[in-house]
Amino acid sequence: MRATIANDRANRVQPLLLTMAVAAASLLATNAHAAAPGITGTTFNLDAKAAYITQPDGASIYSWGFGCNPDAGPSGYAPAAMAGTCPDMQLPGPTLIVNEGATITITLTNSLPAAAGNTSMLFPGFDVTASGADAVDGLLTKEAPTGKTVTYTFKANSVGTHSYHSGTQADLQVEMGLYGAIIVLPNLSSAVTTACSNSTNDQARAHDFGQGVEQDFRLAKAAYNHSATCYDREYLFQLSEIDPKIHRAAEEIADCTPEGNGGKSCPNNMSSVMTEQYRPAYYLVNGRSMPDDMDPSYVTQYPHQPYNGNPHMHPGEMVLLRVIGQGRWQHPLHEHGNHVRLLARDGNLLLAPAAINGEPEPRLAGPLLFTTTSTPGQAMDGLFYWTGKGLNWDVFGHGYAGDSSVCVPDANGYYTSNPAAQNYYEWCADHNKPLESKPFGTVGSGGPVTLPDPNIVANGAWYGGSPYLGGEATSRAVGSTPIPPSGTVGNSPTDEAGFAFMWHSHNEREITTNNIFPGGMMMMMLVDPRAFLIDEAK
Amino acid sequence: MLSRQLLGRVGAALVDQGGLTALCLCLASLPAAAQSFRVQCPSSTTLHGSDTSSAYLGPVNRTATITRADGTHTSLAVVDNGGGIKCQQISGGDGFATMGDGTPTYLFGFGPLSGLADQVSGNPGTEPAHVFNQSNIAGGSVIDDIAIGAPTPTGYTFNGAVGLVPDPEVGGIDGHIDPRLVMDVGVMNANMPAPLMAIDEDDEFFLTLTNVGQVMRPDLFEQHTVHFHGYPNASSFYDGVPDASIAINIGGSFTYYYLAPDAGTYFWHCHISPPEHLQMGMVGQLYVRPRQNRVPVGTNLYTSLQLQQNDLRTKCGKDVLCSSPLPASNTGAQQVNNPRVTDPNHPQPQAQMYAYNDGDGSTAYDVEYPIQIHGFDPNFHFVGMTFNPESFTDLKDKYFLLNGRSYPDTVQPGAMTTQSTDGTMHSSQPLPTIINIPVGGKALLRISDLDVTEYQTLGALGIPMHVVGLNARLLRDLAGNDMTYKTNSITLAGGESLDVILDATGYAAGQKFYLYTPNLDHLSNDAENFGGLMTEINICPADHPKINPTTKACSI
Repeated sequence: MRATIANDRANRVQPLLLTMAVAAASLLATNAHAAAPGITGTTFNLDAKAAYITQPDGASIYSWGFGCNPDAGPSGYAPAAMAGTCPDMQLPGPTLIVNEGATITITLTNSLPAAAGNTSMLFPGFDVTASGADAVDGLLTKEAPTGKTVTYTFKANSVGTHSYHSGTQADLQVEMGLYGAIIVLPNLSSAVTTACSNSTNDQARAHDFGQGVEQDFRLAKAAYNHSATCYDREYLFQLSEIDPKIHRAAEEIADCTPEGNGGKSCPNNMSSVMTEQYRPAYYLVNGRSMPDDMDPSYVTQYPHQPYNGNPHMHPGEMVLLRVIGQGRWQHPLHEHGNHVRLLARDGNLLLAPAAINGEPEPRLAGPLLFTTTSTPGQAMDGLFYWTGKGLNWDVFGHGYAGDSSVCVPDANGYYTSNPAAQNYYEWCADHNKPLESKPFGTVGSGGPVTLPDPNIVANGAWYGGSPYLGGEATSRAVGSTPIPPSGTVGNSPTDEAGFAFMWHSHNEREITTNNIFPGGMMMMMLVDPRAFLIDEAK
Repeated sequence: MLSRQLLGRVGAALVDQGGLTALCLCLASLPAAAQSFRVQCPSSTTLHGSDTSSAYLGPVNRTATITRADGTHTSLAVVDNGGGIKCQQISGGDGFATMGDGTPTYLFGFGPLSGLADQVSGNPGTEPAHVFNQSNIAGGSVIDDIAIGAPTPTGYTFNGAVGLVPDPEVGGIDGHIDPRLVMDVGVMNANMPAPLMAIDEDDEFFLTLTNVGQVMRPDLFEQHTVHFHGYPNASSFYDGVPDASIAINIGGSFTYYYLAPDAGTYFWHCHISPPEHLQMGMVGQLYVRPRQNRVPVGTNLYTSLQLQQNDLRTKCGKDVLCSSPLPASNTGAQQVNNPRVTDPNHPQPQAQMYAYNDGDGSTAYDVEYPIQIHGFDPNFHFVGMTFNPESFTDLKDKYFLLNGRSYPDTVQPGAMTTQSTDGTMHSSQPLPTIINIPVGGKALLRISDLDVTEYQTLGALGIPMHVVGLNARLLRDLAGNDMTYKTNSITLAGGESLDVILDATGYAAGQKFYLYTPNLDHLSNDAENFGGLMTEINICPADHPKINPTTKACSI
């Protein structure tokens, strides 16, 4: 076991440099997207194992994680629109995607180094039966000794997002990476299924705007069996930290040999690893720090960190956020762009006490938040969308001479009657309202402001190139020489030109990677024009 | 910092690709050689015929005429909810503040460049267009209020935009700035917290950030931005994230444009290298007052809130992000005049104020107190002043601040000044946090937290905290049920806000309570084992039972 780890580390020195280069380039050159990917089925064969994860400062960090037993892989992957993998160790562990009411069986093999001792899994919110001929009783559940297995069985009767994590010496084992997510998909009534089907957003997704037809990356049509929880996209963010000192101490024990230890015998357990004082230097979204979290899921440069964090959406799409606190600290995740309606905590949908007369179901009762605090062990589900409603200027830059665009408001004021329109879901009250007084390019004029001279501003790496949404409007606004030039940014002015919003921990020191800014618990969310194809598999 | 590092990466990426585009990008990213200060504050717009707010009588559908750049006219349908035009100018630069133990501390900060008289007396520096657009020149010379170290804590009267002079080419006030005046006032005028902003729902808000540079750090060429934290459906262009937009270089001005959104307690900060610029002091307060304040006296509040459902922007329908759901029932509450407030400088009587469009009067208050929680790590500030590499992992706040001050400075009336390295006293911390409540009345605490390192708790000794709003939204479910709650402590992370009402009903005149942190190690000022995150709550004395909502003083 130890030899394997040592080889693994030696082999990774060279790929690490490559990883760094790829990460730096991909920060600006790719359009990575995200989803809530994971493994499916009712029976999961997992192991707990050691491996090295990488961080964008070049660090290779010894960690423990759950992964798929290589001899008995998962029965499937979801969403269907993206190809998945499940390595034998990953951080966070595999996201288990299961159906409400199913009986779930998880067999865990302890492949950790012997000095790590027993390990186990806890599933907060579920009534779990633990068994196994070789399993031993632990403080919180049955545990698997080194090289042995333990089996957990429970009924998936709590819909929504949940965490799972080690229940053995958890101050060390969770810090080392032994945690993951479980998503329980609801059984939907026919009324909710109908309410969540064939929306105009579905029709827009199925329309070819020139780059092909978008695929559906949802795991379900609704987060809960409630018609107010229909959604169009979903993203899972697991927030955690790493104190590298703890990982180094565990690594030293795992790698210890009497020869290397001055002839003295090696510790046979991890009790000497100090898990206080806690001084994290890495702050992770789905096991990666920014900018690595914005590379695609499952890419080869992060063999043990398959999941990314890089949300994209079109205006008007309902986006389900699944956020789990997997570390030791709380993290205030600030979602730029709009408020989040908190739907549920730990899978408990927050509803008004009773339905209003004449309505079939009680209304939502969770608060509206612009900062969603993650709490250790707690999961939350929330709904988010962005439409640009109420800015008092036309984000598409309509209203110029010869413009033939239309915006016919629906009952809510949006242009949804034509899902094939480039300005589908435009906020019609602002249609043709100019922003700029005397614009340089071909956009509506006569507005309230004059933009600053481009020579006295600095351009961001995700700046779309103009105040307007989309490559078409940006091209009109700035002409044939956009700043920044196409191909140099992660949000091409001639193609994507989305509105980029930072989603990040607002305990701002956590958007650093081992004292380097930018980094850490941060990602860019892109609101993309309809003309741009969002492929969450990328 | 962020932009510098990312541009470094851009540069590296471009080496591979070559070409002239790289050159263009780099040129555009350098500070311009000439200054380009300018303010924007129109006296009328398509939406607002004048800068003055009007009563709220429900949405009015009307047709407005836009004059295009080529002189042609276009008619557009406009939903008019009243509101006016408000403007503000701020500097981005540096300065010093005085900590509770007397230590001067270096700031990266924002300072006031408009509304200086209001700012220095503890009020928002957000001004209507006609107040903002005042020339700095009178009788052929620059007025006395435009001077190094302005504003002085007493006797200061100028509320216009600093630097505004007649345009020498066109004549008249059109946003032309004399940069000498901006530099005189703006250099080293950082405030902690940054200038207070307050707008009324439906206002158009023109906010000009003027980057005067950081004279203490000539090695830096920091851009600054404004992030209006919590703005619903924000455009990324005006969201202030430099990675997602543009950031203004030293010597330039950038005017942010907002239509005042849903009422609530928001806040603002620079978004350049947030761990650094926020810790160093570039944090401020911003709140939006509800249109319910503008409902005529005698109007049923529920009926008035129903009118908002006629405007598609505020209609709830099935909108899961609806901000103003109707209360579960019509309580019959009406807009009234408030007998507990008095202000000789404003027309009497004054209408009742509310934190939110509640439709039932449940968020009524007599006087509001913006309270921003923050923390300073003196080691980081020393490093920030002395050109040393910064550590983020080891950040540990030692000064715990309410509105930029620690106890007992929190209860010192008036503006605090700090001597800067130019030998001049500069207004540094204009806001005390003395909470006076009229007898039998209510105070609204608009609490925000921009600490960059840890969660902070504030507790009230003896008087319950009624939490009515969270993250700039009324605590009410979508069925109209009351989700507000009473507590004796609240906990916030950096990047969160909430609204607390302290209700003095049943308490005796003259009673004193404390607002303090139960994180008891935060009741300290660095090495002093006394101070920190604490202030005082006073029920007004029986002989001065009313409150002046502008001066916050107990009055007769």
